[in-house]
Amino acid sequence: MTGTHDEGPRGVARSEAPRPLDGDEEALLPELVAHLREHRTKLRQEWVSRIREENLLQAMTSQEMSAETTSVYDNYVEVLETGSVAALQQYARDLSERIIPRGVETHEVVGIVLLLRDVLARSLFEKYQRDFGMLNRVLDAYEPAANRIANTVAVSFVDERERVIRQQQDSIRELSTPVLPVRERLLILPIIGVLDRERARQLTVQLLGGIRTHRAKVVVIDITGVPGMDETVANHLVQTVDASRLMGASVIITGLSPDIAQTLVTIGVDLSKMATIGDLQGGLEEAERMLGYAPSRPDGAPMP
Amino acid sequence: MTSGPRLFSILRQGSILIASIHTALDDSQLERFREDLIDRIGRDRAKGVIIDVAALDVVDSFATRTLRGIAEMARLRGAQTVVVGIQPDVAFVIVQLGMDTGSLVTALDLEEGLTHLAATAGASIGPAR
Amino acid sequence: MAAAGRADSSRDRPSPAEITALIPLVRRIVASRVPDRATADDLVQETLTRVLAASGRVEPGMLEPYAIVTARNVVASLWRDQDRQRRNQHRVVDLRPPEAPDEDVLVQEDRQAVAEALTRLTDRERATLLAHEVSGQDTRSLAAELGSTAGAVAAQLNRTRARLRVEYLLAVERTEPPTDRCRPVLLAISGGDRRRQREVDAARHLLECDLCARLSEPLMGRGRAREADVRVPVQSDADVVAARSAAREVASGVGFPPTDLTAIATAVSEVTRNIVKFADAGEVVIEVLEEPRRGIRIVARDVGPGIPDVDRALRDGYSTYDGLGLGLPGARRLMDEFAIVSEVGRGTTVTMTKWVGER
Ligand SMILES: [Zn+2]
Repeated sequence: MTGTHDEGPRGVARSEAPRPLDGDEEALLPELVAHLREHRTKLRQEWVSRIREENLLQAMTSQEMSAETTSVYDNYVEVLETGSVAALQQYARDLSERIIPRGVETHEVVGIVLLLRDVLARSLFEKYQRDFGMLNRVLDAYEPAANRIANTVAVSFVDERERVIRQQQDSIRELSTPVLPVRERLLILPIIGVLDRERARQLTVQLLGGIRTHRAKVVVIDITGVPGMDETVANHLVQTVDASRLMGASVIITGLSPDIAQTLVTIGVDLSKMATIGDLQGGLEEAERMLGYAPSRPDGAPMP
Repeated sequence: MTSGPRLFSILRQGSILIASIHTALDDSQLERFREDLIDRIGRDRAKGVIIDVAALDVVDSFATRTLRGIAEMARLRGAQTVVVGIQPDVAFVIVQLGMDTGSLVTALDLEEGLTHLAATAGASIGPAR
Repeated sequence: MAAAGRADSSRDRPSPAEITALIPLVRRIVASRVPDRATADDLVQETLTRVLAASGRVEPGMLEPYAIVTARNVVASLWRDQDRQRRNQHRVVDLRPPEAPDEDVLVQEDRQAVAEALTRLTDRERATLLAHEVSGQDTRSLAAELGSTAGAVAAQLNRTRARLRVEYLLAVERTEPPTDRCRPVLLAISGGDRRRQREVDAARHLLECDLCARLSEPLMGRGRAREADVRVPVQSDADVVAARSAAREVASGVGFPPTDLTAIATAVSEVTRNIVKFADAGEVVIEVLEEPRRGIRIVARDVGPGIPDVDRALRDGYSTYDGLGLGLPGARRLMDEFAIVSEVGRGTTVTMTKWVGER
């Protein structure tokens, strides 16, 4: 029978069948790893002193530095040994998670991994310098593996850092759209500053969640402190008012500037159907009057 | 009234029917819900109807129209309908979808719905007269 | 660890991992023919056992085709058994003979199919393939002979293998495809070429053509095509709920905030409903996007009457039935990108996308 030799998924599994050069390099890795394990203490110390010389990881105490470098060293050698991408990514993620909160910068983490790569490379150089052919093969085996580790760590660190920053931004935004339960069943949202799309989205989440948590029946959104908004944000605001009503709460908007009123009219909002009141004080009085009566009516106006 | 696992329940409390949807419903199940409920409104001469949709993670155009339809049919039969329990995300998406909900009366939850019916329809969960 | 010192002869027998890798393929083939799950599981087991038993005799590249044929035959012999059972139901004793070993027949059939498939290649394709696979001539020397480059020869070989797989399956089925579109579609799938699959609108053809739908199953396993996609077949009301739940789940894995998850699920609900209301059959395919940003793409396609006036269908208030009115424009408002392609008499494809962090 003729083989329809296939380069699909199984072809990949088969690629472990060695090309001569690959096999040679791979066969060298165990020897390399053994060497790096044997000289662990000396090499790690050399690495730490290089890190100090380069003024990296200054945010860490020497104790932290010692613990962290030991762990990184061992993981590094392990990944070299197994070549497992999954293990490598896991290692990189763990490392990033641990050190980002300590204020370590991207250039630092890339820097220390590259330093480790070079410290180890130099030690290999010393070991094999008399046998130039062997040295070349050892470095051919080591360098691609080491570079792969450095790349993966760098990419993972940048990703993780972005994630942390996004989280921090989220929590800052939550603070920037405070939902204040001023009295039973009444919420006030004083909005100050520019309402961009992201903040508008946040406002919706906060307000609708707040209505449920506080069982609010009336919400006063005060936009006296908002200089202006584009049509998308204005539209979003109107949608939030409607959604609040679906949750059984009436919304009063106070401090509507002529500019924003104009924007609302432009996007086709019927202002007569929105409960708008000049200032916050008036809004609160109206809210209390509404709370004196029973529930919301479809148009959000107070019950007669 | 319902076969298989209970997708919804309709309970009578005084002059009020409390209809709870227990899980996501497909269109034909929603239609059956509407038919069963309208049937009960007529038979029980209910004055008020509460529909609890807290279990719905999606309320799309069909579901919104069905709820509106029930409220309208109930009104023709002399009962007022309040939809309660719309989740925050769901509320916002109904609005984004552009659904007309103007005629739909809504309240936060069952308790609020009952308060509303007591105030506006004179309906209560006390014994029916 | 490195395989440097491994004896070459050990390659003759597939590893357990290679057998295990066949499971999804075998499962697909069996499941597409046998609806009952428990029976299907039994047949998958049966197939794997046979493949394992025969694996020493199967040539390395042929393990997958061999598994495909075995699965088909195992299913066929179940059907034969069931037939026999039906015929013999009036007898009290069970007359089924003990399972006859039909492996020789299988191998025979298999050889014939491969031989048949080879005759359907062009002379040049066949010569090149055989020189490479059988005589072990490498691509560089082939390129020299053919006045081409090694890369071009390798690409040509890949295309030829893709064709051979298609022709092999057709030969095994003993059938000719019913339409002109079948071969290009099967080829695109066999080659795992996604761009080409889009060009020939392979997904739609699989909805329309039973034969290709069936043949694509074993072919799909090898191209990397759509392995990450979630596909929900749509026919009834309940499938609308299934499609939107699947979309929500995928979107949640992508990292959308809760409001967006609800928006996506609702948009899917709207477009899927249109398939159920208007079309004979359809599917919703949910795909995770990484470029240029993270996002989700949903393709809802149906085989149906199509929409004569797409622009009008996208306007609020249009209604041929009570429901299209807001379905499409509403779904469009919930997503970042939205496109409809519709052909009257053939069907409609709605493609919509949402990006993480937009708006
Ligand atoms: Zn076809």
